[in-house]
Amino acid sequence: MDTGSLSDARGSAGDEPVAIQTRGLTKRYGEDVLAVDDLDLTVYEGEIFGFLGPNGAGKSTTIDVIMDYVRPSAGSATVLGFDAQRETRAIHERVGILPDGYGLYDRLSGRKHLEYAISLKRATDDVDDLLDRVGLDASAADRVVGGYSKGMTQRLALAIALVGDPELLILDEPSSGLDPNGVRLVREIARDHADRGRTVFFSSHILSQVEAVCDRVAILNRGRLVAVDSIAGLRDALGTGSTVTLTVDSVPDSLTVAAIAGVSDVAVDDRTIRVRVDEATAKVDVIDRVRDDGAAVLDVTIEESSLEDLFSAYTGDAPRQVGAPEGER
Amino acid sequence: MTAAPIWLTIARKEFADALRSRMIWGIVVIIAVMTSLSAGVSLLVPDVDGGVEMAIGGASQFAGLLVPIMALIAAYLAISGERESGSLKVILGLPPSRGEVLFGKFLGRSGVVAIGLTLGFAVSGVVTAALYGGLPVGAFVGTTILTVLLGVSFVGIAIGISAVTKTRSRAMTLAITAYLGLTLLWDLAPNAVHLLVTGEMPGEVVPGWFLLLQGFSPTGAYNALVQRLLLGGGTAVEARLGGPAPGYLDPAVFVVIMLAWAVVPLVAGYLTFRRADLS
Repeated sequence: MDTGSLSDARGSAGDEPVAIQTRGLTKRYGEDVLAVDDLDLTVYEGEIFGFLGPNGAGKSTTIDVIMDYVRPSAGSATVLGFDAQRETRAIHERVGILPDGYGLYDRLSGRKHLEYAISLKRATDDVDDLLDRVGLDASAADRVVGGYSKGMTQRLALAIALVGDPELLILDEPSSGLDPNGVRLVREIARDHADRGRTVFFSSHILSQVEAVCDRVAILNRGRLVAVDSIAGLRDALGTGSTVTLTVDSVPDSLTVAAIAGVSDVAVDDRTIRVRVDEATAKVDVIDRVRDDGAAVLDVTIEESSLEDLFSAYTGDAPRQVGAPEGER
Repeated sequence: MTAAPIWLTIARKEFADALRSRMIWGIVVIIAVMTSLSAGVSLLVPDVDGGVEMAIGGASQFAGLLVPIMALIAAYLAISGERESGSLKVILGLPPSRGEVLFGKFLGRSGVVAIGLTLGFAVSGVVTAALYGGLPVGAFVGTTILTVLLGVSFVGIAIGISAVTKTRSRAMTLAITAYLGLTLLWDLAPNAVHLLVTGEMPGEVVPGWFLLLQGFSPTGAYNALVQRLLLGGGTAVEARLGGPAPGYLDPAVFVVIMLAWAVVPLVAGYLTFRRADLS
């Protein structure tokens, strides 16, 4: 299916300062690997932007171009108004990155790593502050990185990314190797950074991590952008809404919930009634109607459809019918 | 904060790493022991006219074989190793440009090799002076400087190799090839050309171009320069040529050759590395 190039959901805002912009960005490896295909992406300053896609979708390649690790085959990328290929220095002075597939120096202590990064960036950060922000204690920082666990290494790499309080923080799969505390920490760092008026660009293939923290999300699949929107906006666009599950004493013979506006599906199983609703206001109506129909409601659970659902709808082989108009060519 | 140039910050870190890994002390010990031994050996051989210059010459012969391999080992992973491990992405995600990383590494590793060789030679200088009851300081210092220059040439070659290779194993293959080609096999080239041109193997007296070709490798240039230094002036060269030496056999030419061996691979490596995709 060709979804075409999506126009940006916030494109009309126009004069908002832009943190990252790609235009027709294409990266080809050899003859037949098309890692990124004609990508138009705009990330505004001050937002936490989620960059989602399965492994191999082209997320890291996009970041690689933005950071000038690789050169685009076509198109361009600008970061904070600077050209990614020609004004690399200006960008790297203002950006902090946790790259994909990075490594650190096994023989160097965590503290030395940070001191080195600070001197290379001509920053004035206090090493202990940085350690504190990523939850590494001072004694661990004095040991060599060769003995670090994956989680400690990831925290140190995160601290390196924070050196110089960057205007733009790029995190490529920041949660890999982290325990739940670490995952929460990454979210806190992202939020904290955005609260300082900075921009965070957060790539992940794990949707729940992005869902919890991002203002807007782009979904990438096979090098192409398939959606850009807020999480709520994506939900609306897909119309998957949420599911209300009611446990009742006994299911009434004449169940009339299906007639409520906004209800798309009703399933009854023993004493459980599962109702899919597309409109938020319909949820209360469903509960009221079931009572009116003569059942006593024992329990209610409401599940928002997860981004996982949205995601498979966008990137799966047989995408669900999408309510919002698509950019068919 | 002192705002040192970025390449200097990188060079310093490279140097500190070499101290930490004791690489530099390895160079000192190997050079000190091996050159002292080879200087001492000429005392043990009865028929050899064992002057102290001869002893230094023996040590330099040995250094000519040893220094290239040490310099290659000291630097061949400088960039390719970081590229394979991914730490290059961290460094290049910070302000340093690729050129600054390359230059800083060249400088840092050259410093390691230079200081290691100088300290090693200082030790063997003391040993040689003790064995022979004296030391021609000028000739010895000159030999040390030339040996350092040889080391720097091979660091340039190694950094160049490191910049064009993506993996450690590929870098190692190229480093070994460079060593074999430039140090061990190069001597065959002038002989082969001589055979092709004149139809016979070189004899006692050789044409000027033969000596130039011999001195075209870093090690060849080093040997030519050390020989001049220890045997004094161009008499040995004239004896070999059976006549006056042409201008292209001037010592300055060989110094330029050694410098070129440091610079050309470095620049070639940079031009490739600058355009490389690091993913």
